[in-house]
Amino acid sequence: MRVTQGTFSFLPDLTDEQISKQVKYILDNGWAAAVEFTDDPHPRNTYWEMWGHPMFDLRDPAGVLLEVNACRKAYPQHYIRVNAFDATNGIESLKLSFIVNRPDEEPGFNLHRTEGPGRSIIYTTHSYAAQKPAGSRYG
Amino acid sequence: MAEAVTEGGDDAINLAREYEESGIGGVLDQLDRELVGLRSVKSRIRDIAALLLVDRVRQRLQLTSEKPSLHMSFTGNPGTGKTTVALRMAEILHRLGYIRENHLVTVTRDDLVGQYIGHTAPKTREVVKKAMGGVLFIDEAYYLYKPENERDYGQEAIEILLQIMENNRDDLVVVLAGYADRMDTFFKSNPGMHSRIGHHLEFPDYDADELMSIARLMLEQQNYHLSESGEQAFSEYIDRRMRLPHFANARSIRNALDRARLRQANRLFSEKPTRISKDDLMTIEAAEIHASRIFTEGKPDQDPV
Amino acid sequence: MGKQLDAAERYRAGVLEYKQMGYWEPDYRPKDTDVICVFRITPQDGVDPIEAAAAIAGESSTATWTVVWTDRLTACEKYRAKCYQVDPVPNTGPDAGTDPQYFAYVAYDLDLFEEGSIANMTASIIGNIFGFKPLKALRLEDMRIPVGYMKTFQGPATGIVVERERLDKYGRPVLGATVKPKLGLSGRNYGRVVYEALKGGLDFTKDDENINSQPFMHWRDRYLYCMEAVNRAQAMTGEVKGTYLNVTAATMEDMYERAEFARDLGSVIIMIDLVIGYTAIQSMAKWARRNDMILHLHRAGHSTYTRQKTHGVAFRVIAKWMRMAGVDHIHAGTVVGKLEGDPNTVAGIYDVCRDTFNEKNLPHGIFFDQDWASLKRMMPVASGGIHAGQMHQLVHYLGEDVVLQFGGGTIGHPMGIEAGANANRVALEAMILARNEGRDYLAEGPRILQDAAKHCKPLEAALDTWKDVTFDYASTDTPDFVPLETVTV
Repeated sequence: MRVTQGTFSFLPDLTDEQISKQVKYILDNGWAAAVEFTDDPHPRNTYWEMWGHPMFDLRDPAGVLLEVNACRKAYPQHYIRVNAFDATNGIESLKLSFIVNRPDEEPGFNLHRTEGPGRSIIYTTHSYAAQKPAGSRYG
Repeated sequence: MAEAVTEGGDDAINLAREYEESGIGGVLDQLDRELVGLRSVKSRIRDIAALLLVDRVRQRLQLTSEKPSLHMSFTGNPGTGKTTVALRMAEILHRLGYIRENHLVTVTRDDLVGQYIGHTAPKTREVVKKAMGGVLFIDEAYYLYKPENERDYGQEAIEILLQIMENNRDDLVVVLAGYADRMDTFFKSNPGMHSRIGHHLEFPDYDADELMSIARLMLEQQNYHLSESGEQAFSEYIDRRMRLPHFANARSIRNALDRARLRQANRLFSEKPTRISKDDLMTIEAAEIHASRIFTEGKPDQDPV
Repeated sequence: MGKQLDAAERYRAGVLEYKQMGYWEPDYRPKDTDVICVFRITPQDGVDPIEAAAAIAGESSTATWTVVWTDRLTACEKYRAKCYQVDPVPNTGPDAGTDPQYFAYVAYDLDLFEEGSIANMTASIIGNIFGFKPLKALRLEDMRIPVGYMKTFQGPATGIVVERERLDKYGRPVLGATVKPKLGLSGRNYGRVVYEALKGGLDFTKDDENINSQPFMHWRDRYLYCMEAVNRAQAMTGEVKGTYLNVTAATMEDMYERAEFARDLGSVIIMIDLVIGYTAIQSMAKWARRNDMILHLHRAGHSTYTRQKTHGVAFRVIAKWMRMAGVDHIHAGTVVGKLEGDPNTVAGIYDVCRDTFNEKNLPHGIFFDQDWASLKRMMPVASGGIHAGQMHQLVHYLGEDVVLQFGGGTIGHPMGIEAGANANRVALEAMILARNEGRDYLAEGPRILQDAAKHCKPLEAALDTWKDVTFDYASTDTPDFVPLETVTV
């Protein structure tokens, strides 16, 4: 399966050139770019690990690409995403978030059902990969 | 390869037009106006600009694939125009498409080197990332290297810089600046750094006449001028100041003029509190110059903090 | 113009003109704390427009048809609404072949209204004046709510920013589809459509406005099958998914029961219809805030009073009320789809939904500056006759903070529902990618879609199937304003 979180997951994986253009858009809007990584792609896993702080006051995408590539080198089989933070009042949140690295094999999720009264079901989603301890997932 | 070039044919390259379109002529003119003297530096910059322009054409015609090394060292005493030249160099590189952003980030050791283990690498990387796309100007670069302390964190910054200078040649131009003799020592101890520098520019000290012209230019930009006796006094000031320690060329001139403006304002208050002319407001008198400690005690004034 | 009357004359029993009773005050300058309305009035033949406008002010505040002495027991000067400006509507009147129409501006003191109550505010403003005999027609065009009053309303339960954070979806419009056919599917079959569409790439599916609890599918059945579909699709994609479960019902008790069941099943969103009424909407908005639920509003029925230009309430006003009332989603027009939507009018409505401050913008139908006092921003929903081939236009006209609902455009796809969803998502992502890269995506749109279709068969099929479908009809609800450059003195 393919985890389709992020803004561009339905397109072929972005090239570094395409990533640079998106980062350029982020910087031109005055947003801060951040690199985050995880080996637990559960849809409710909000807090991926931060690869350093969000980068403020950058002018050129090369700086962000430097960190993306450093993170890829350290975690080649993890999910890595680039986030853009907008500090404008009324937003003060993410404006863009897209995956720039993913493991070769994505085993997907198991849906666990707990049956309750009145035909109701409590659903729990488990990542197959996350059944192993952190650090030893994805081969 | 190179089939596009035929001798004098339709495909002949019009270098003059390339030069015109790049707009670097205007930048060089601006440099001429901004900076007095520095003939040798200006001519080196013209050479470099010409080289880069030609190289750009050669790349287009696939006569060369290697990008020229653009990292530079600017050596010379303080106040000899290194920062101003770096700004214009950034503009030239930007106009020729060698850097993507016309910007210059100026740093010293304190901006790059941390206080404890693990502090330096993120600090250096942060500076480098902010400079990406443009020019990183490291003033007094030799302070990065402190051979007397073998565990100095400066070495870590140097290593990161070396890596970036090699791997990100398309993204960043690094200019190392400082006193000539210390830079020599630095390069001798860090041959890797030396080998990555494409251009060495030496900034000579200004002579007394040039410093006087600089003073006139600075005053003119702020709508001041020296009176006749003031000129004489300032020329004498320059002679004395150049012989004293911590002389910093144009920077010393700027500081001296700043102090003179303060004294002028004081004088105007005490002499003519109710009625002054426009000319009074613009004129620096000999008194303002002679009040300097150079004349009274034979020592340089305290520089403003 | 009303002449100054002394107290004895003013309160003598009998009938006076409204403008003489103090409802027309051309010198009045509205206070920052006043509620201001602008009405489009079409007086009966021979009726003085000023008198008609004063009557609107009077009948929507303190007046009745005759003088009453009990006015003198009150600070009646304060409570009278004051019409302070009447302008002819550009391009109306005999020369334009229409009845003469006027914009009447009326200011209301803050103390006329109960805090945080849409019902109370609207009972005043649109309570009984719309049937007033001296007028042929009357339309409420826009309102300015003072900050002090605005702050007494909850505003959207969730808001655009928090909705995105909960859904983990940033930088692009959110995609949805209304399940079709809207009537007749059993719960089991209905859930199939939800599953296929969500698995294929949509973020949301939606009940239609009249899907409540009918013989072919009762509500509990629908909720159970839909949540099975949502959770399965989440596990298949690793993305947060949702389906708007319509909780509209006959009584508040029924609606709460349904909403609570939806919450207990883990749904992130529920929906209500506009026809449940303002008070019910506010109740559900408070429930949604308490229960971390996104609240979708289907504007069922609005066109009965928003569409005609001369009579009713402009939709921008309804949108304003609904943001105050506290819904998170509101259907607000598509420009290019099958339902009414002049581009300028729609732009104005979207601004009302999404901005923290609206600046007066007559070409977009916005008559007043409006400070939203930090009420959350409301997500507009574009639904009705849109398809993947219009993606460049949709992004251009509607921007990024919007839900694009492709019902037919998903379920009617020749290769199936999942493929239809896929085509929409790929088209959208390709368009956002191009926009961010700085390309002229409106002009290059068809090209961008064709290129994206090279690696996406379903998109290719969608472009081919609906290539020529457009809905090009004249809009009925367009702003009337004098373009600034042609103003002459």
